[in-house]
Formats: sequence, C-alpha cells, structure tokens
Amino acid sequence: MKVIRGTIVSEGEGGVYGERMLNGCRVWDPHRSKFPAAILNGAPLDLSSDMRVLYLGAANGTTVSHVADYVETVYAVEFAPRPMQDLIEVARRRLNLVPIMGDANRPEVYGCFVEAVDMIYQDVAQPNQADILRKNLPFLKKGGIAILMLKARSVDVRRPSEEIAEETRMSLREMGLTITWSGTLDPFHKDHTCMLCVKEA
Amino acid sequence: MRSYWFGDIDDGVCTPAQGDEDRILERCDTIRGKVDTGFVPVSVKEACDCGFFADREEYLAKLRNVTIRDARRKIVAAFSEGDAELIQMVRMLDEIDEVVNLLTEKAVEWYLVKKPGFSRKYKSLSAKRMIGVIKKEKGPLGRICGEIDALSDHRVALMHDVSKRTDAVMPNCSNLVGGLVAARLMERAGGLSVLAGMPASTIQVLGAEGALFSHLRAGSPPPKHGIIFQHRRVHNAPRNVRGKVSRAVAGKLAIAAKIDYYRGELDPAFIEKAQERIDTVGEKE
Repeated sequence: MKVIRGTIVSEGEGGVYGERMLNGCRVWDPHRSKFPAAILNGAPLDLSSDMRVLYLGAANGTTVSHVADYVETVYAVEFAPRPMQDLIEVARRRLNLVPIMGDANRPEVYGCFVEAVDMIYQDVAQPNQADILRKNLPFLKKGGIAILMLKARSVDVRRPSEEIAEETRMSLREMGLTITWSGTLDPFHKDHTCMLCVKEA
Repeated sequence: MRSYWFGDIDDGVCTPAQGDEDRILERCDTIRGKVDTGFVPVSVKEACDCGFFADREEYLAKLRNVTIRDARRKIVAAFSEGDAELIQMVRMLDEIDEVVNLLTEKAVEWYLVKKPGFSRKYKSLSAKRMIGVIKKEKGPLGRICGEIDALSDHRVALMHDVSKRTDAVMPNCSNLVGGLVAARLMERAGGLSVLAGMPASTIQVLGAEGALFSHLRAGSPPPKHGIIFQHRRVHNAPRNVRGKVSRAVAGKLAIAAKIDYYRGELDPAFIEKAQERIDTVGEKE
C-alpha cells in the first residue's frame, strides 16, 4: 500500500467524492472507508497491480474507486438503483472497474460475468453477511483472500458484537476458510469487525 | 457445457453469443448456472483462445459495455414503477413542513423584537395566521414572510399531488388509511414492493424504529404504532384500545399493500370489509 506521512493514499484520478489530495495522490480516509481503517488497525492487507477483486456491496463506488487504483480488475456488485447510478459514473472513468447490478445473495444471476479472482471483499451489511460470502466463494481462487467486514448491528442489535464475531468466525471456518487476522475497526467504525481469511489450496 | 455472457464453451468447442448487446443481455438473463463447488468462473484467456476477443483489454471493454448497459436498464425499470417518484414527493413534503415551521418560528421571534407591545397570549393566532399578519410589515421581515407564505401554499399543492399519486400507485392502501399515511408508510418501507413483502407487525411499527430498538435492546415497552398513528381511527381511539386498533389497521394494510403490488387495482369488496373491521374493532364487545 502507498503511504505518505502516515496517510494511506491511492494513485488515480481524483474528484470521485470530493476526497483530499496529497502530493497528487488521493487520500483514503479511514473514517469513511473500512479498508484503510482495517490496515491502520494492523490488518496485514495489501493490494497489488496484478490482483483481480470481486467487491460485494460496492455502493456509490467510494472504496471501490480506491481499490481500482491499485489492482488490475475489480468486479463491483451492487443491488440498489440509486447508488448504482453513481457507481456507473465512477466506472466510466476507471476502465478496470466492471460494475454489475445484481444481488450478492444470488451469484447465479451474475455468475456469467465474473472471472476467478484473487480477493473477495464482502461489505454487504445484511443479517446473513457470512452466508453471502460463502455463496460467492466459488469465484475465489485457491489460496485467495476473503475479507469480511462484519457489521454486528446488522446481524442482531440485541447481542454484544464480540459474541456475533465469534459465531461468524466459527461459520467462516466451517466453509473451509482459514482466518489469518481478525480485529475491530474502532475507533473509525463502531461495532465492525474485519476478518481476513484465506481459501485453502 | 459452460455458458458465459460471451458464449458457450463445451469441451473446447466455442459458440459465441449472437447479436448486439441487447441480444447478449437477453441471453444472459437466461443463464442461471449454479454457483457451487463445481462452478468454473469465466477465464479471459479461454475466451481469447476461442477467438472471441483479441486480448484482455478488448474483453474488458466489451464486458463493461454489456454490464453498464444492463445496470442502466435495471435502474430505469426500478424507477419506472411510479413509487420511486412518490417517495421523493413525500420526502419533499415532510421537509417543507419542517422548513416552514422553523422559518415561521424565527419570523415570529423577529416580529416580537420589532413590536415590543405584541404578545400571542390569549389570541388564537395559528402559525399560518401569524405569517399573514407579519407579511404586511414593511422591509425585509415582510418580504421574507411573503416567501414563507408562498412556500406553505406550495406545500398544500404538493399534498394534493401526493394524495392523487398515491391513489394511482397504491389504490387500496390509499383508500383504507388515506393518501398521505399510505404514502408515508411506503416511503419508510422504501418502495411498494418492499411494503407488500412486510408482515403486518412490521407495518404496525414502521416509523417507530427508535422505540422498537430501545425495546429490543433495553426492554422498554414495545411501540404500539408508528406512522399509522396518523390515521384518525388510531389516534382517536381511547388509550386502552389504541394498540388493538393499530394492530387491526396494520393487518388490513398488509393485505391492501399486497393487493396493490400484485394486482394493482382497487378491490371495493375488500375495502368495505376491512373498513368495517377497523371501524368496529375499538368498540366493546
């Protein structure tokens, strides 16, 4: 990852969402995006220019635009029409970004567009967050990385986030993933846990 | 045989998808290959080897054309159901309410400073009337109040528009609880299709999310009603049966929403029976 004086940045055309620029690079704000928040909290995450990424829950394309600055190709899946309008606009100027309008719960619908990827980034905040990741695992190469941004409040408002995180780690192991790192996104995002997993070869 | 957006691949034999982008998309809509352990994702190299594309760059450019076109088409479809615009109308209406109230408050404060002898006590001056009085002032205050007045006229007009649109988009709900309440429920749900999929218990507390989650979290008493409180049968009901009435209204609304979404036309027989149930539920047996 490219870091300038402690700030995570990405190289690319700016002005996507009014982000600040630093030495001509786009500042990747950890308060806005969970990806840099995880890195600042110690997640051993890296993006390289030969990676292909499947991004679930792309929303307005804020985080996706930064990911696209780093990697070879991003397949960005988003379901809601309003954010999709923005995502298309972002994709028009980033030729390595493939926007797909579809439900991450139903990979069979968009399966014919997606190639095998090195990384799956699951950021759809739904009660069945872990299950959505499981459904999309066939797209992940062996040895590839799966990232789950778990939002405990979307799973159950009543139970403590640590309990939900533990339960989720169990189900991730059950789907054949090895968890390499797990940590909260405090103080940037409340009640979020980031989980890094590797799909066994 | 494996089917992808660009064509089929069967044991090394490649058959390209025919036609322009629209034809390709039509074909994609029919591909529903299970994504499970046996699933083989697209291989760009394989697609190029088949001779469909010169290189990865060309592959991506064509794929993007197809998926962006697909997304645009789906966005248009999602927004054309009529409820999308209604949602925006309701939001604008509620926002104008808020703004008019805030501005009126400020204008009255200002007026009190200008006219130290004036007091609202013992005068039945509604906010609307107040603005009518202040409007006659000369100078900036009068001008601004003229604008506030015009804005509340817009609000009244918009309210009629919302009711009319709701009658068209969701005739049964609108008939049962009135256009405004029906429209607000739909706005909170996020669309008619979402509302139609909701159980009555959820519809009952739509708009009371704060109370609902405090109930789930801290065990405070559960909310009896959300937006449907605005329905006269609910807020006019005696306190001890209000929960019962709102339950009945929500139950009938859940059915009405389903009729609206799946059939889309008024069902007078249903409305009559439902109305009767709502009218009598609060009475003592």
